Amino acid sequence: MGTISSAFSLMSQALDADQSALNIVANNVANANTKGYTKETPTWQENSPIEINGSSYGTGVSETGATSVRDPVLTERLDQQQQLASASGSRLSALNTVQALFTPDSGASGATAGDIGSDITSLFTSFAALEANPGVDASRQSVLSSASTLAGDVSNAAASLNAQRTALDQEASGVTSQVNAITSNIAQLNLQIQSASPTADAGTLEDQRQQDLSQLSQLIGINQIVTENNGLSITTTAGQLLVSEGSSYRLTSGSVDGETHFFVGSTDVTQQLADGGGQLGGYLTGRDADIPGVLSSLDQLAYSVSTQLNSLNNAGTDLNGNSGTAANPLDIFNEPTAVAGSAAIMSVVMSDPNDIAAAGAGQGTGDNSNATAMAGLQTQTIVNGQTPSGYYSNFVTTLGSLVSSVQTDNTAQNASVTQLQTQNDALSSVNLNDEASSMTTLERSYQAASQVFSMLNTIIGSALNLGQQTTVA
Amino acid sequence: MRVDPNYITNLVGSLDQTQVSEQQLTSELSSGVRINSLSQDPVSSGENVILLNQIQQDDSFTQSSNLVTGQLQVADSALGMVVSQLNSAISLATSANNGTMNASDVKSIGTQISGILGEVTSLANSSYQGQYIFAGGQTSTMPFVASTATSPESTTYNGDGDINYLETPNGQKVQLNVPGDQIFMGSGTSSVFAALNSLVADYSSGSVSTEQSVSDTQSLSTALNYVSQQRVTVDNSISQLAADSEAVTSNQTQLTAAQTSLMQADVAQVSTQLSLTETQQTALEDVIAQLNSTANSLFSKLQ
Repeated sequence: MGTISSAFSLMSQALDADQSALNIVANNVANANTKGYTKETPTWQENSPIEINGSSYGTGVSETGATSVRDPVLTERLDQQQQLASASGSRLSALNTVQALFTPDSGASGATAGDIGSDITSLFTSFAALEANPGVDASRQSVLSSASTLAGDVSNAAASLNAQRTALDQEASGVTSQVNAITSNIAQLNLQIQSASPTADAGTLEDQRQQDLSQLSQLIGINQIVTENNGLSITTTAGQLLVSEGSSYRLTSGSVDGETHFFVGSTDVTQQLADGGGQLGGYLTGRDADIPGVLSSLDQLAYSVSTQLNSLNNAGTDLNGNSGTAANPLDIFNEPTAVAGSAAIMSVVMSDPNDIAAAGAGQGTGDNSNATAMAGLQTQTIVNGQTPSGYYSNFVTTLGSLVSSVQTDNTAQNASVTQLQTQNDALSSVNLNDEASSMTTLERSYQAASQVFSMLNTIIGSALNLGQQTTVA
Repeated sequence: MRVDPNYITNLVGSLDQTQVSEQQLTSELSSGVRINSLSQDPVSSGENVILLNQIQQDDSFTQSSNLVTGQLQVADSALGMVVSQLNSAISLATSANNGTMNASDVKSIGTQISGILGEVTSLANSSYQGQYIFAGGQTSTMPFVASTATSPESTTYNGDGDINYLETPNGQKVQLNVPGDQIFMGSGTSSVFAALNSLVADYSSGSVSTEQSVSDTQSLSTALNYVSQQRVTVDNSISQLAADSEAVTSNQTQLTAAQTSLMQADVAQVSTQLSLTETQQTALEDVIAQLNSTANSLFSKLQ
């Protein structure tokens, strides 16, 4: 048989439980704007009933502590998507800087400055003008000046691209120290979590670990492996171990052939990190794939135009009646020795406009057949099977499509990150309206418990007075 | 169902997005250009390169064509004058043949024809912008030089037989010059200078047989016809250039129209989009302001 005094004790426990639950709600409200905080809910537990004379009596409720409301699958998924979005984001910003070098020419007069496409056409049309007037100095001068403009714009673009590569390289190497700081922090948290909460969610510690993981996901691509006792191992997406429970392994960087390479232990993981994701993946893709691709296209253009025009000019007859020889070549452009690097070294080496060989071999200086041949190069497939302008047009389309596709990827990935973030926030972040309603519920429950307590008090008073109404109030 | 309590953050993200597109649209409006970076329209950017290339080629051809037309007109008018000089030489020679003239008159006619020879030589040495136009490829050397060493005197040609062509953007070739030897040094009786030199030699002596003078006059007529024939080549080139130039200009107009519509912003469309974006932005701002007010929290109702 239950007693009034056991009901007293039951109610005082209920009051305690309500208080600690109110504490949890208050903590939620206090941390409503804390980054990485996961909403906590009180854990109610029905006390074990007691059995008296074959009848079972409840013994009230206990509040056994706060539980973080967390979906590990969702947070890991969010981290993975974040890695993709960061990679495409940093790659996109690198590509945007690249494409700014090749802003399309609107065609309006005065808008042609720096446009390589117009420069190519100007160079060849200057030969066409020379064709009309092979002996006139102004036509020759205009060939040299168009050639200088093209060479200047191509070599400037190459120099800017190289400078961007260097900048990306520096950005990339700066990421290592951030990664190392985060991984060593995670290793420490692993130890704390394993000792403090080996079987259940570690609450605040887990919040910190998740926060670190989400930061790490912005930097590099990672895999998370949950180990025993709530530990966590982290590898790069290609499988190199960065954190193994309580130990972290440093990501180091070093210069290889003038570029920053990345190592875990002694393994060079540069390529794996480039493919892995995160900001670092984006930087490395920009540095090792995108910019070199653009540069090599420019190199091909510079190489073909320089060598073809040089070789034709050497074969013709200049205004002084000379043809180019090995000892005294009539080169218009700095003759490149290999395709790679041609764009960066493109420059006009000819200083005397009379050295332009408008006349064909063995012809008088008034002949224009060589100028016609040089002007004709613009309709010939001299650059990788395409005409110079066709090649440039193709290059522009390819670059534009690349930027546009990375942009599309990035937009989609960011949308997906937002969606996952929304799902995760819906579950784990503090909703003040929810807290207000919990607070009200708990307040009512506390009031009810107090009321019951005070009624029990009256009842036990009556029992003590045994019908006498005066002695105990 | 639980909802994301941080929906304001998402709304602010949308607001940022509308600002980005406003910026984009206003930049299109202010520059009048639809494509400001390659990624906005990669295919059109590529086409634009090709179109601009063709437009510039056409433009350059029109300029070159004006220039060479000037040169061809100089050649044509020089040849026109040569023809009239030769005509007067023929009438002078014919007048000397009518048998009424004495030796001194014939000599005087010889002197006049000698003057015509000098005039024709100087016309054959015509130059345009410092370049001899009847010298083939040797435009920096005076092509026709008279020599007194022989009798009759002779005129030698120092140029060559080189012919220059101008290529039109569609690959056709227009002949730009007729080498001097072809006009003035035609083979046999069609050589202008041979005919004139022998006339001068024959008439300057004061006595010329009728046979000789008839033969001299005939060869001069043949030479004259020959020069006229060569002049036709020059005239043909001039009219061909005019036709080509016109075709190229009309082509250029079409290309420019295509290029403009490719690259130009459609002001009406962009303005409409801008206005829509502005409306969206205002709406978003209002929504955020409404939602952000503290009166919307359940806590504010719990007094």
